Amino acid sequence: MRVKSVFCAALFLAFGSSVALGAGPMTGKTVKVGVIADVTGSAGAYGNSQKNAYELAGDDLKAGLIDAAGASLTFDVQDAASDPNQVVNLVQKFTTDGSALMIGPTLSSEAKKADPIAVAKNLTILATSNTAQGITTMGSCVFRDSLSEEQVVPQMLVKMEKAWKVKTAAIIYGDDDQFTKTDFDIFSASLKADNIDVVDIKTFHKGDVDFKAQLTAIGEKKPDLLVIGALIEEGVKIATQAKQLGFKGHFAGGNGLNSPKFIDLAGPAGDGVIVGAAYYLGDTRGGNKAFVERYSKKFGKAPDQFAAQAYAAAQVVAAAIKGGATNSGQFCSFFGNMKPLMTVLGPVSFMSSRDVRADSAILEVSKGAFVPFK
Amino acid sequence: MFEFFAHHSKLIDQIGINALLALSLSISLRAGSLALAQAAFMGIAAYVSSIGAVHLGWNLGGAALAGALAAALVAAVLALPIGRLRGVFLAIATIGFGEITRIIAINWPITGGAEGLSGIPNDANTLSIYGTLAVVGFAIFLFGRTKLALAVAATREDESAARGVGIDVAGVRMGTLVAGAIVAGLAGALYAHSNFFITPGDFGFGRMEQVLVMCVIGGVTSSLGAVLGALLMTVLPELVRFLHDYREVSSGAILLGIILFSPAGIAGLWQRRT
Amino acid sequence: MLVQQLANGVFLGAVYALFAIGYTLIFGVLDILNLAHAAIFMLAAFVALSLAGLGVPLVLAFALALVVAGFLGVLLDRVAFAPLRRRNAGTLVPLISSIGAAIIMQGVARGIWGPDEQRFPANALSTAEIHIGSLTVGALDVVILAIALVLMGVLSYVLRSTALGRSIRAVAADRVAAALLGVDIERTIALTFFIASALGGAAGILIGLQYNSVSLDMGARIELKGLAIIILGGMGSVTGAVIGAFLLGAVETLSVAYISSSYRDAIAFGVMFLILVLRPTGLFGKRALRAA
Repeated sequence: MRVKSVFCAALFLAFGSSVALGAGPMTGKTVKVGVIADVTGSAGAYGNSQKNAYELAGDDLKAGLIDAAGASLTFDVQDAASDPNQVVNLVQKFTTDGSALMIGPTLSSEAKKADPIAVAKNLTILATSNTAQGITTMGSCVFRDSLSEEQVVPQMLVKMEKAWKVKTAAIIYGDDDQFTKTDFDIFSASLKADNIDVVDIKTFHKGDVDFKAQLTAIGEKKPDLLVIGALIEEGVKIATQAKQLGFKGHFAGGNGLNSPKFIDLAGPAGDGVIVGAAYYLGDTRGGNKAFVERYSKKFGKAPDQFAAQAYAAAQVVAAAIKGGATNSGQFCSFFGNMKPLMTVLGPVSFMSSRDVRADSAILEVSKGAFVPFK
Repeated sequence: MFEFFAHHSKLIDQIGINALLALSLSISLRAGSLALAQAAFMGIAAYVSSIGAVHLGWNLGGAALAGALAAALVAAVLALPIGRLRGVFLAIATIGFGEITRIIAINWPITGGAEGLSGIPNDANTLSIYGTLAVVGFAIFLFGRTKLALAVAATREDESAARGVGIDVAGVRMGTLVAGAIVAGLAGALYAHSNFFITPGDFGFGRMEQVLVMCVIGGVTSSLGAVLGALLMTVLPELVRFLHDYREVSSGAILLGIILFSPAGIAGLWQRRT
Repeated sequence: MLVQQLANGVFLGAVYALFAIGYTLIFGVLDILNLAHAAIFMLAAFVALSLAGLGVPLVLAFALALVVAGFLGVLLDRVAFAPLRRRNAGTLVPLISSIGAAIIMQGVARGIWGPDEQRFPANALSTAEIHIGSLTVGALDVVILAIALVLMGVLSYVLRSTALGRSIRAVAADRVAAALLGVDIERTIALTFFIASALGGAAGILIGLQYNSVSLDMGARIELKGLAIIILGGMGSVTGAVIGAFLLGAVETLSVAYISSSYRDAIAFGVMFLILVLRPTGLFGKRALRAA
């Protein structure tokens, strides 16, 4: 790592003037952001999207597509291998190696072990994929740009109820994973608030591939709506197998299903699934069009929500530097007072709870693409 | 020195906790029983100590002792039905027990389920972890000088011969399982009290596999080996961090290389010479 | 609903059985638990996927991937097990070397195919469904069940009635005696690894097809249950593994349908635990393969 940063510094010295960093008020200032991502291990698919996003952000800083006012901004992405011990070690590294900000870790359960260490050392945190409750309350400088499902699901159900007169619903969710369990809590509260009768609740475990037993039991109850509290790997198989078993109702899912991968994997079986999400691939605001094009070109696949939220974090960080922030305290106060900033997620700012204020998207899978619902 | 410690204190604490876990497994392996329930014992103690600390205000010492005691009780009860099982059959039965324990933790409201248990006081530190390790290590050393240690070794080497000379084989097996559970329990309590937050996933099959690797890399029945195995396997992922994309492959290759170079583990390196 | 659930259980059992039969062969012959079996299972599925992606017909891609898996198994034995066998390292040490080998294979697969889950080309698969009364069955499920049964039958036949089978059983029973009788031990072991790994590869590809999903962790997520099945079946008993697999499929499905989906795995492992307590050497005893 040391070698790499020395190398980067040398490159910067050699080409600093010729690279289109765009001279600005912050020229000569260096900001290093420590990023913890599960690039390998069980959460590898999500961490990898995040790593890709920061790599692209690095390119885009050089190309001037992201403006950090001439400062040298680097993202030190470290792999935690989906291992909480490594997450903890990395936080400690970032609290001692001059990082001005920490981004990550990938999972909420990791954040709950890691964030208190950074908070104790007054290191500001920007989470991009932690959706559980109790993340930003860990410290007065813990922010997140990931929209909680609580901010999406209620309006989505209202829309669906209006469109289809939904009376009954069943829920299937992963009960051994924090993300999917949170999905369940939020969906069941919202269904109750909308007077939609929950006729069956079934669970699965992370990594399951066969859901026919659960879906056969749910199918017997003939609910109007099947709520899927899952990430794409399981969500795709649930939708596919439910259709195979002859389920005729509608499908709804949360953030976990919002990935181009869902369409690749589900094929025609994905059609008609409604997803409440924090990112819309077809959005044209905040440089999203260029982001999607450049990301697709560089990595051979379209960005998912994990990548978009990570890239948006890079945009937010660059804006903060433009606003004069170079150290942890300055980042914290900039984020706290930030005016809505246009990012690939749309306009982003932070509430007093340090949760994000951003647009939600209610999307429908139709003919192999996510399109806005209704 | 001080700076090194400040930058790596978490890693140092993890080494100590993993050393306790590897020791705990080596205790039951000493009697020749491949009982792989360490992760479950660790989890039981972690939850008992954390729930006690969060809801009842127990201090670290009390919470750790209560956790270890709970793990020991469960081990004593578990020892009865698995008494006739040997080798891989014992291994899979105990792994199954571990999975059952984890699923109960997911479904039992008091544990917080998959959303985890937060607010655990962060009162375990390097001193308490290494103090516990020293006490456990010293107890194992003292035990090794008693006659009972011979009974344990005899049970491992030849069970029927051990029975022939009047050794209570079932008692030895239960004793080592319970002793191992106490040590794993202490490790679990210390883990919970140095991580703010626990989830059932922290104590699953993956953890068990890690502990087994540490123990075998160390040399199966050697205490010092177990500690060194834990040290090596905890530090390894950080040591190869500079390899970036090749980290996973090189970790596997190093593990494979070590075990092929010295099948008797790290302990085999010095035992071979004597 | 019971009929549908039983059918679900049978198809799930076939998947488990496919994974377990190759696994149990190595276990029976060499007394070692090969934790890299799951990695070969996964690699074979990716190889078949890449070949299919290049336009190779699915049947050919399947066959080629089996050969690749077989050779990977032989290589695995040469690198991770043979050196330990020569030094009589016992059963626990090869378990660890297989974990090391599995981590390497996982890393290589991540390097080649990336971290994302993938699927076979859409036109490679039949999505037809068969309806019998209220029962819905995928045509693919039936094909996979048939292939699984055929593979199990062939393996049983080979072990029971061919010269190779006799050599394998002789090595399993007593390596020293087998050598004295003129059996080429290393060659027999290599062939055992080839067959077992090819079977594991077949399982990976078929499961990948059935669930339309090939991913890095597809081996890891079935590994523990596979382990439970082969041990429950008895040391190296192919019949025992198959019965154990269908038993597990049925227990899981019925506990989801009638008891609780949350406790499904706890019930499955609980049943396994009880059976082991009652039969401490598994369903088919300790030396089943040797009597085959």
